[in-house]
Amino acid sequence: MSGALPHVAHPAIVAVAAAYFAIVVMISVWATRRTKTASDFFVAGHGIGLVALTVASVSTSVSGFAFIGGPGLIYSIGLAAMYIVLPASVTNVMGAWVLAKRMRLLGEARGLMTVPDAIGARYRSPAAQGLSGVAILIGIIGYMATNALAMGVVIDAIFGVGIAWGIWIGMGVTLAYSVAGGILAGIYVDVFQGTLMAAASVLVFLAVLKVGGGLGGISTHILAHDPGFLSPWGKAAPLAALSFFLVFGLGSLGQPQGVHKYYMLKDPLQLRWYPLLKTLGLILVLLLYFGVGVGVKSLVARGALAPLTAPDTATPTFLLRFTPVILAALVFSGVAAATMSAVNSFINIAAAVVTHDLPLALGRTPRNELKWGRISTAVLAVAAAVLAQFSGSMVAFLGIFGWGLFACTLVPALAIGLNWEGATKEGALASIATGLAVTLSFETLAYFKVYSFPAGVTVSGLSLVLSILVFFAVSWLTRTRAAAQIDPDVRLVMSV
Amino acid sequence: MTKRLALGTLVLAALAILAAYASAFLPGGAPKWAPWPMALGMPAALVAIMVLGAARNGRVGKLALPFAFSGLVLATGFALALALPADERAASPLYGGLPLRAAIVIYGIGILPIVVLPIAYALTFSEQTLNADDLERVRRAGEEWARAKASPSPAPDAKPRLHDTLRDEPVPAIPAVRG
Repeated sequence: MSGALPHVAHPAIVAVAAAYFAIVVMISVWATRRTKTASDFFVAGHGIGLVALTVASVSTSVSGFAFIGGPGLIYSIGLAAMYIVLPASVTNVMGAWVLAKRMRLLGEARGLMTVPDAIGARYRSPAAQGLSGVAILIGIIGYMATNALAMGVVIDAIFGVGIAWGIWIGMGVTLAYSVAGGILAGIYVDVFQGTLMAAASVLVFLAVLKVGGGLGGISTHILAHDPGFLSPWGKAAPLAALSFFLVFGLGSLGQPQGVHKYYMLKDPLQLRWYPLLKTLGLILVLLLYFGVGVGVKSLVARGALAPLTAPDTATPTFLLRFTPVILAALVFSGVAAATMSAVNSFINIAAAVVTHDLPLALGRTPRNELKWGRISTAVLAVAAAVLAQFSGSMVAFLGIFGWGLFACTLVPALAIGLNWEGATKEGALASIATGLAVTLSFETLAYFKVYSFPAGVTVSGLSLVLSILVFFAVSWLTRTRAAAQIDPDVRLVMSV
Repeated sequence: MTKRLALGTLVLAALAILAAYASAFLPGGAPKWAPWPMALGMPAALVAIMVLGAARNGRVGKLALPFAFSGLVLATGFALALALPADERAASPLYGGLPLRAAIVIYGIGILPIVVLPIAYALTFSEQTLNADDLERVRRAGEEWARAKASPSPAPDAKPRLHDTLRDEPVPAIPAVRG
């Protein structure tokens, strides 16, 4: 989000947003009463039902990007931006086959709580657990700061309080429910927010079709003025569009905010319907992403709207001009809630790394994890808000590589490693180190304009492929040690 | 055998994608063929990793068909998007409201796999993914592991902790697993 959102302050929008926040506070009070242990705080006591988990998972997957940044990206680069969301046709079921069962069963057998826990248990390696924790922490710093900034931008757009106050108000509300109710509060806020956003997304999509004369009408206007927009690669090179698909497809297996939710499901046998429900939920929520992106382009093409001053204004402009104010209010409040829920999710994961994974990796026994989890949550939230407010363009830089960093550091060690007994600790360590080194080096060089990859090559895509190949190569070279690195219960989890 | 095939495919797919990226570093930029190894390598990688996750007792059983279908749909979709002529224009015929190549990408790649894969997952869940017996065996294995870890220091309320598993100790004997 570029900070270019128009002010939408309108009594109805402000009232709906205030009501939204009040409901969030009520949910957090309820969740706080149910949060008594570290397991409650970090994985909701392994006690979330299928529907709640599915809706929460959909919410976490899309965040505010699907409603503001995504449609803006389609407006800018055409269908190329669809390659970010098209992998959803396979990613949910792929995650279910590759990770959901194994992680949930590891939770069942050992009570694991974090993604690095699973890596540590798989390879019997504190070093692998610690290094994956460090990778997650680095990725999360950027994510939290960018989401905190996005939160400030959206709250400023609704209440007109300025971005700085927006950051602190949003972070204050998020902090209240994150510290008190942990991930349990986050899950049920996500359920509330996700349900409303799915409904709002469908209604906005229908409004787009009505205003644009159906999808055929929308396409006809775009094709008359800018046919390249509706080419399968939009305004991007085919290699770049395909690279999106790779990173957001295969890379989805390494996103801790999605993956660690598998631990939370109450009954592992309910996984049967999880991919179907989640995929259907995602389609509903992503209708707005596609609809507003092409709809606004069509309106501009036929002269019904002036060209946008900034792509991120696509959704606010459409909502304010073409939908009832109550629907606009619902979406704006939902976007604010979505950014807060993303921050909650990331803070919770980061707090788990700090209070649980890093001490274990250093050979220390974590004590009173609930108390330290709450303290870390507060410290991390304040740090993210400060970073968002004072680091200027560095925030954008930090936000760029979060997804890619998670993908290249976690996909090989976690997703492949939990399904291949030939993987070794050495392979896991080498792949995580490769992902960290390649991503951090080349993103930094690109940011400072020292060196950039040629067109079509993304750092995240290349580092994902390299870390996978390094994982296979090093595991093969150290293959004689593979069998000795798996505990019997973990081997059983890997074989069922 | 199935897992080996999946692993081999995954490595080859990763190499193909790497080749696509590497070609962009050639003088003059990415050649025309550059997207092809990526377009074919990606579906192969996605299906391979799904097979790796779904294989049980070395087989994917009834899932072979949905996996083959999905791989084919993705690869064909990308291939058609690359191979068909770029003739989007004002008078282009529309398919489901979109020009042909866009319709192939949105409806083929974005929608068709949804009709097959999650339903195949649900229908084969008990047989291929997880059932009550599996769950019980895992719970028992977890309890055995906990007892094994607790036995050296038999305090009455001794509960094993996660970090106990992380020491470099000899691995106890592996219990028999089904099949």
